[in-house]
Amino acid sequence: MKNKNTKGKRILFYLTNIVLAIIFLAPFYWTFINSLKPRSEVLKYPPTLFPENLTFNTYQRLFNAGGGVFSKYALNSTIVTIMSVVFVCIISTLAGYALSKLKFKGINLIFIALLAIMMVPFQALLVPLYNVISSFGLLDTRIALSLIFTTYYMPFGIFMMKNSFTAIPESLRESAILEGASELTVLIKIFLPVVWPGLLTTIIYVAMQAWNDFIISLIFTSSSSARTIQVGLMNFASQRFYQDWGMINAGSIINMIPILILFILLQQYFIKGMLAGAVN
Amino acid sequence: MGRFTADFKKEGNNIINSNNKLVKILKKKRHLFTSLAFLTPALLFTAIFFYIPLIEAFRMSFYDWALLGESEFIGFTNFINLFNDPEFWQSLWNTVIYTAIVTPMIFIPAIFLAVLINRQFRGIVIFRAIYFLPVTLSFVVASYVWTWIFSDSYGILNYLLQMADIISSPIAWLHSTWSARFAVSLMIAWKTIGLTMLILLAGLQGVPNIVYEAAAIDGASFWQKHRYITAPLMRPTFALALILSVAGSFKAFDQFVVMTGGGPGRSTQTIVMYLEKVGFRRFDLGYAGAISVLFLFLLLILSSLQLRIGRFTE
Repeated sequence: MKNKNTKGKRILFYLTNIVLAIIFLAPFYWTFINSLKPRSEVLKYPPTLFPENLTFNTYQRLFNAGGGVFSKYALNSTIVTIMSVVFVCIISTLAGYALSKLKFKGINLIFIALLAIMMVPFQALLVPLYNVISSFGLLDTRIALSLIFTTYYMPFGIFMMKNSFTAIPESLRESAILEGASELTVLIKIFLPVVWPGLLTTIIYVAMQAWNDFIISLIFTSSSSARTIQVGLMNFASQRFYQDWGMINAGSIINMIPILILFILLQQYFIKGMLAGAVN
Repeated sequence: MGRFTADFKKEGNNIINSNNKLVKILKKKRHLFTSLAFLTPALLFTAIFFYIPLIEAFRMSFYDWALLGESEFIGFTNFINLFNDPEFWQSLWNTVIYTAIVTPMIFIPAIFLAVLINRQFRGIVIFRAIYFLPVTLSFVVASYVWTWIFSDSYGILNYLLQMADIISSPIAWLHSTWSARFAVSLMIAWKTIGLTMLILLAGLQGVPNIVYEAAAIDGASFWQKHRYITAPLMRPTFALALILSVAGSFKAFDQFVVMTGGGPGRSTQTIVMYLEKVGFRRFDLGYAGAISVLFLFLLLILSSLQLRIGRFTE
């Protein structure tokens, strides 16, 4: 195979990839560049492919609009995402440990009962879920959003953590138990340092899902006290600043940055998580 | 005497045995207790926010259930009404058409990309990352990025197409049914090709190199190799990616809400959009329950197919 990689073939390969990469990146460029154009240039036709003037004015307008409500949306998203990640990590570490190391009769049934969530599209449960959240008096709160995300992305974490724990030899745990350690000590002191790649994958997966969610925030929030950045962006685009495309582009850029950073820094875990999330 | 010692021995053994048993039972109990304690949070969350709503969805579907006031058991009436509801059928049809358009728009480029980058070249990781980049975006952001590109009066796409003399006047992409479907599908293709590519790539890399080497020795051509080795070995991975993609298209909501609002008219309204409309704007909870139950079964069929393929590959 190797001697077939001639120079001509290599050039063709790179050329194809470069053209494709430009196509894939063009929408990012276009959004970014329009967020930096002054208001008058955004709506200029024919459009300017390379901006004549660059300004951060649009970002200033974005964050000053409506008494800084966009920062409030971003803050809500951040808090909801962090809460969901923390809940999922704690719950799925405990559950994954129990499911892989503490065997007893009927444990498979529990495993199936916990993972059944993955089979059911949560969109089908929105109406009754609304009643449940409403009966707790949690409508339009950030905690409600994170409780829902925790429930529906927890199976991914449980699956991930169960597999991570299963890979660790049983003898490690037994010797620790013989020395009088409790299950919780074994879990925290001996196992967690080993299973952190699984945990990191879970963190990234849940963070991306929670940050990017739209429909849950749309239905379960009604004011800026809990509304997330996704619904907030739509609110800006369709009501407050209808057709103000500079603003919408700037909002999109702010919106995409956190997850893009996660991806760039932790690509390997990100891809692992997306694959596992898709295939399971 | 002999008998006595024998008895004594037996007795002693019994005591030791039962003692061992007791320890074992105690150990098992402790085991069970800790694991149940560890599993409680997960079980609680699942019960409250999944199983209760699941049961409720089924129960609701048999009631005339308004937001306020009494609810009344009406048997299968909601389902019968649903089968006679043109808006439901239209939403289902829209979703099916959208799925039929978007699936090849994702898969053809994804297969090409997976094959393209399934080799060792310097810098391949960077290209792979670039193709994957849009996957990290939310549907809302991706939709706005492309709504702006598709804009009829200021859009870059119309401008470029006019420059290239492909069209003579700007197209109002999102304002007529078929071009709107195409526009949304193109956006989704851009956003999700990377993920499908990655799943297919994982499958491709699972094909052992030695098989290709053997084929090369036998003088197999590029097409023969892919026709007789890659294609059959990739079938389960491909089926899996396909089911996932189809299931994702059936759940379409965000992209149509942002890009078309279900319009023009109701021509791009999907099932989930209709469900949201009935449940949260018409407050006809019983009817929404019936739609939910039907939608649930539709997707359950898809995911059971996925499970069977999963088992098949193992």
